Amino acid sequence: MKFPSRPILCVITDDGLPPLDIAEKALAGGATMIQLRNKNASGRDLCRWSEAILPLTRQHNALFIINDRLDIALAVGADGVHLGQDDIPAPEARKLLGPDKIIGVSTGTAEEALQAEREGADYVGFGHIFPTGSKDKPLPPVGTQALQITSSLLSIPLIAIGGIQLENARNVISNGASGIAVISAISRAANPRLAAEAILKEMREGMQS
Amino acid sequence: MSPKKASTTRLPRICWITSGKESGGNNQQLSLQLRELPPSRPAMILIREKHLDARQILCLAGQTAKEPLPIGSLLMLSERMDIALAAGLDGVHLPEHSCPALRLRNASPAMLYGKSVHSLEGALSAEKEGVDYIFFSPVFTSLSKPRYGPLQGPKKLREVCKAVSIPVFALGGITPENAIQCIECGAWGVASLGLFSDKANFRKTAETINRLLP
Repeated sequence: MKFPSRPILCVITDDGLPPLDIAEKALAGGATMIQLRNKNASGRDLCRWSEAILPLTRQHNALFIINDRLDIALAVGADGVHLGQDDIPAPEARKLLGPDKIIGVSTGTAEEALQAEREGADYVGFGHIFPTGSKDKPLPPVGTQALQITSSLLSIPLIAIGGIQLENARNVISNGASGIAVISAISRAANPRLAAEAILKEMREGMQS
Repeated sequence: MSPKKASTTRLPRICWITSGKESGGNNQQLSLQLRELPPSRPAMILIREKHLDARQILCLAGQTAKEPLPIGSLLMLSERMDIALAAGLDGVHLPEHSCPALRLRNASPAMLYGKSVHSLEGALSAEKEGVDYIFFSPVFTSLSKPRYGPLQGPKKLREVCKAVSIPVFALGGITPENAIQCIECGAWGVASLGLFSDKANFRKTAETINRLLP
């Protein structure tokens, strides 16, 4: 599986909004990866949404991955999965998915990130970088210094997550992230397509600085 | 291309469903209880622990898979075909609103697929979807799930068993006394969470049911 060119903009679906709509607009704005994440949705809904989003990502030459639910990823032929620390371990996931699918792992420390790399992850999610309202986060934000150190230790792409907006996207990329993952910065924007375009522009500028 | 059916082997007549209170760690509760199964009676064991995360379920399923079970027994997992595959289980039992069984079977053809249904229409559509068996519930008043939809009763059970050609397991309020009634209605077998959760009496209950079932 070919990984998208950098900078990677991964747009994660928002539990409170229709996933297909977000995916459509984000892809039109240049998103390189869509991650379907909804911990409360039924298997039937996840399958239905996946079937609708997958061909759209193909049209835009983007990737479609599913959070946690490897069963759905296998059933619909998604490009891969994104796994949290409580989900199936990456080596088990690799056995089921084979060498060509993408496995991303959520990490919050350099050790977790290096372990994910050793276990065959294709990229790590790293964060949360800044304070965020998306999830109950018992731990404090890791900040851009930890981002810089961790990304320098890894040979796989690091996708920064947590509290990333238009205003700090450039800074995150210039601190070593290969990409960013966002939810509300796109889903709750007045115009999600334009928001994706603007964030990508900031990220490209961050790569040059 | 239509995928090959997973299994034409005879299904066990009894399915025990885990309590929903198992732990995902190194707790051997479930393993210990499985050693109380009558050795001459194959059983279907359905691991259904919604409160555990995927990693904990994998751990529990992997441990359970190492347990010696009566010959012909089948180890099933609720919904998660990926974890069932990773742990080497026999199949997946799907809730009513699951990813379509046909989709899952295309991705993992060697597994057994079952589904929970709560109406005649649900039963017919599950059969069309290609599942290997169904659970029909709630047949009787259940102590473990007292408010799970309108009671179907033996009459509805009989209708469903007549209408489909796949094996039907009666679920909901099953007791040793009414298990035979379900078989007489055309059910292939019975499934119970309540009797399995009653750990203190389980050995005796399982033996009684073993004697009564065909």
